[in-house]
Formats: sequence, structure tokens, C-alpha cells
Amino acid sequence: MQSESGISPKIIEEFLKFNRNIIDAPNHVPAPDEINLGITPHDVVYTEDNIRLLHYKPLTQKQAQIPLVITYAIINRYHILDIQPEKSWVRNLLQQGIDVYMLDWGTPSNLYKYLGFDDYVNGYLDNSLDFVRDEAGVEQVSLQGYCTGGTIATIYSSLHPEKIKNLVMTAPVIDGWRDTTVVSNLTKHIDVDKMVDTIGNVPPEFMYYCFSLLKPFEQGVDKYINFFRNIDNQKFVDSFLRIEKWVSDTPPIPGELFRQWVKDIYQENLLIQNKMYVGGRQVSLENITMPIFTQVAVGDHLVSPECSMPLHYSVASEDKTLRVYPSGHVGMIASSFSQKKILPELGKWLIERS
Amino acid sequence: MASEVNYNKAFEHYKHLSLFWTDLIYLMASKPQSLTATGPMRKFATNAKKVTTELIESNQDLIEFNTRLAEYYKQLSDTWIESQKQVSKKMPDIPQDAEQLDSYKRVWIDIFENYFTQLFDSKKFGENYGKLVSSELELSKHWNDMVNTLLESADLPSKKEIDEIYKELQQLRRRVSKLEKEPVKKVVENTNAE
Repeated sequence: MQSESGISPKIIEEFLKFNRNIIDAPNHVPAPDEINLGITPHDVVYTEDNIRLLHYKPLTQKQAQIPLVITYAIINRYHILDIQPEKSWVRNLLQQGIDVYMLDWGTPSNLYKYLGFDDYVNGYLDNSLDFVRDEAGVEQVSLQGYCTGGTIATIYSSLHPEKIKNLVMTAPVIDGWRDTTVVSNLTKHIDVDKMVDTIGNVPPEFMYYCFSLLKPFEQGVDKYINFFRNIDNQKFVDSFLRIEKWVSDTPPIPGELFRQWVKDIYQENLLIQNKMYVGGRQVSLENITMPIFTQVAVGDHLVSPECSMPLHYSVASEDKTLRVYPSGHVGMIASSFSQKKILPELGKWLIERS
Repeated sequence: MASEVNYNKAFEHYKHLSLFWTDLIYLMASKPQSLTATGPMRKFATNAKKVTTELIESNQDLIEFNTRLAEYYKQLSDTWIESQKQVSKKMPDIPQDAEQLDSYKRVWIDIFENYFTQLFDSKKFGENYGKLVSSELELSKHWNDMVNTLLESADLPSKKEIDEIYKELQQLRRRVSKLEKEPVKKVVENTNAE
């Protein structure tokens, strides 16, 4: 039966139900501000300027001898690796008996706009790893880099290979010219010198704009329709809000670091060609000889697999593993799939080498 | 074309007129104003020409910004129309139940996603976006310059001076960090030598 307007009553009913869900939403879900991210118990064991080194409390009696230090990306925050207990990357590794440390890069103010790769790699990361090596009483540690944190971890492993036992690369940004995402197109056309010289640190809003161009209708429309349709599903809603809160919490990026990142990685693509210089030293991927485990996701719309995979083929390591997962950039680290498939593989790989 | 020539003529005339009066008033008024040499207005009067020039130039950059912004929305709007045409071609009938509505939504999102991703990946979008950001930065530069003039009038450090301090601090921090690491390195080297 059709209504006078020619629209089926079933459709009208569907719309009304959807509207009711929108109105009822506040009764079903907490406000994003009421949600705490980063829940696994930890101590802050080292601080320097804005950065903090977190050491997670063990969840097993026996732990692998070599600790794992995770360098998170310079965009967004480390919480995504510990977003909720049942999808926590960190918790899963702790449960497998791995001693986990994580670097929180903090929120740089204008005072830190001259920080570049040299400060992050040879300063903050090197000092943090020295602290961990000292505290754990080991010569070498395992290092994991996620997204742009992968770029930092790659550079570090090339310049300080003697301190790294195992290297884990999760969707690292390596070969900018092969990157097939929209981000790559934008970075090619930005006058990054003018931007950094004029505004200093890159504001979060600039990054939000870039994100909004990636899958604009799935992420900007469909996602929210699904949210209101599933408002009764507590698990879905909780997970959705946690991810939304994380996505909307990006610190500014230090201007100098952003300049080097855009120029050296995306515009001139120096890292993969072994032509990048950090702190006056050449970064050669051939210096990376330790065991390396590279993880990429086929559906990654932020860092395409083509951008990450060249690392696997360019390092000099004999013990190297490449895994391509049917997942996305976030799904690879914070999903049921990562808990069931990705993390058990990684844990096994790390323990065998620790 | 003719309107652009007329516009440029008018613009130059307006620019000349503003600068003429600013300069003349400054020359005529600067000597008696010397009486108030220690107050902020004296300094501001000295720098007024700079503010005027910045304002005039920022108008030119505002025109470039608006041109780029109009082109940006034109690209979005053209792509939207093309996408909607494609959706209508593929799904000509009005959905009658929830299932049909879902498949309509799926097709709509897939087609729009494809067309817009192609646009965002294109050279024409990248170039216009780059110029849009660039013109916005030009406006920021003028804004910074004007604020700096006011800061100087109030005997406060300008952005450039603060930036120099930040840079100096950063260099000092690096030097201190290297010096702190030096003794540790030496101890390690000596231990290895022994």
C-alpha cells in the first residue's frame, strides 16, 4: 500500500524508527567525555619535555626477557592500542607474557615547533630506549612502530641497530611515491615550507580535514547511520564511541617534523632510496639487519600497503616476515580480528626471538 | 577582461590614495607627536603605513583565496551532480521497503565514494587545494605582520623575536642533551677498551 505522497508506509516507518533512535541516543550511551581511553594499568616511568614512557603492569607471572617498546604515530594518540579491554593490543601482548612499554608523544606547544626527526629519533626515542635497557637489564629491546611511528622506528633502527633485537612494523609510512591514498596527492601540492614558516605547529584541524577526504561517505555518512541504527547494541555503541573519541583527539604536529615528513617521505621520497639524513647521518635501510616483522592491511585507506611493503624488500635482515591482513588501518590493531589472528602471530614471533 | 583592467586601475588608485594620505599625514604630524615619544601612539603612528600596506595587500590575497574557494566548491558540486546522475541511472525506482532502501544506500555510498575519491586523487583538485591553502597562509602572514606592528607599538616582543628565542632554546636543549650523553659514551668506550 502506498501513502498519498507515493512513499511506502514501510519506508516511513523505517525513517520514524531511525528518528526515534536519534532522540533516544542520549539515554542509551555515555557522552564521549565520560569514556576513559587507555585503560590497562601502567606506570609512567620516564618523562622528557612533553613525552611520557608508559610501562604496563604484567598480566602473567613469567615474562619474555626482551621488552617491547611501542612508538605510536605522531598523529592521534596511543590510546588506540589500548582502546578497550577486549580489543586492546597492549593487553593481548601482556597476556602472552611480553613486557610492554609505550611512548606517548604528548601535546607539543609552540615552544616545540623546531623539533624534527633528529629530536624524536636521536633524542626522545633513544633516551627512552636507554632507560628501558637500563631498567630491564638488557642490551637490546624489541621495537614496534605503528603508522608514522613506524617511520620513526625505521629511522631509529637504521641509526642505532645495536640497540634493537627485533623490529615490528605495523602499517609504516615508508615509500611516499607508492602511496595510493588521497593523503599522498594532497602532500604533493602543499607548500610545506610556507605552511611551517607561517603557522609553526600544524593544527589538529588540518589533519581532521585530510582525514575527512578519506572514504568521505563511508566515514562521514554511513558510519553515523549505522551508529544510530544500532543504538540498542551496547557493545557496538561502546566500541564506536571509543574510536570516535580517539579519532577526534589529535595533538598538533611540531612544524619542523611535519616539514621533514612531508618533504623527505612524500615529496622527495628519500627514506626508501637511502638518501634521507637525520642528525647529520645517512639513514640506510641496509643497516637494518635484525629480525623484522612487517604487518600491512589490504583495506588500509590511510597508509596503503604499497607504501609500507617496500620496507620488507629493502632491509638487509635475513629473518624477515611480511603479513598482509584482510583488514583496515584501525581494524588491524583494534578489532576482534586482530585479537584472534594478528596478535597471536605477533606474540609467537616475538617470544621465539626474546 | 575589461572588467579586470578596470578593477586593477581602481585598485591601484585606491592603493595610491591610501598611501599618499598616510605618508602625508605622517610627515605633517610627526614633529608635534615627538612630544609623546614614550607613549604607544607615537610608535603606532610611525608604523601606521605598514598596517595600511598590509591591509591593502591582504585584500589582494583575499581575492585569490575566494577564487580558489569558489573553484573548490565548484569541483565538489560538479562531482556531486555527476555522482547523483550515476545513482539515478543505476537505481531509477524509489525504494519500497527497508531492504530496497538499504541497497539504495549502498549503491549511493559506493558511487559517491568512487567519484569523490577520484576527485580528491586528481591533479586538478590537488593543485587548487594547494593554492587555496597557500592563499590562506598569505592572509595569515599579513595578519601576523599587522599584529607584530601593534606588539612593537606596545614594546612587546614580536612573533619573529619569540620564534628566535624558541629556536635558540631548542638548539641549547640539543647541546645540553649531547653533553649529558658524552660522559656515558666515554665510560662505555673506556670499558670496551679495557
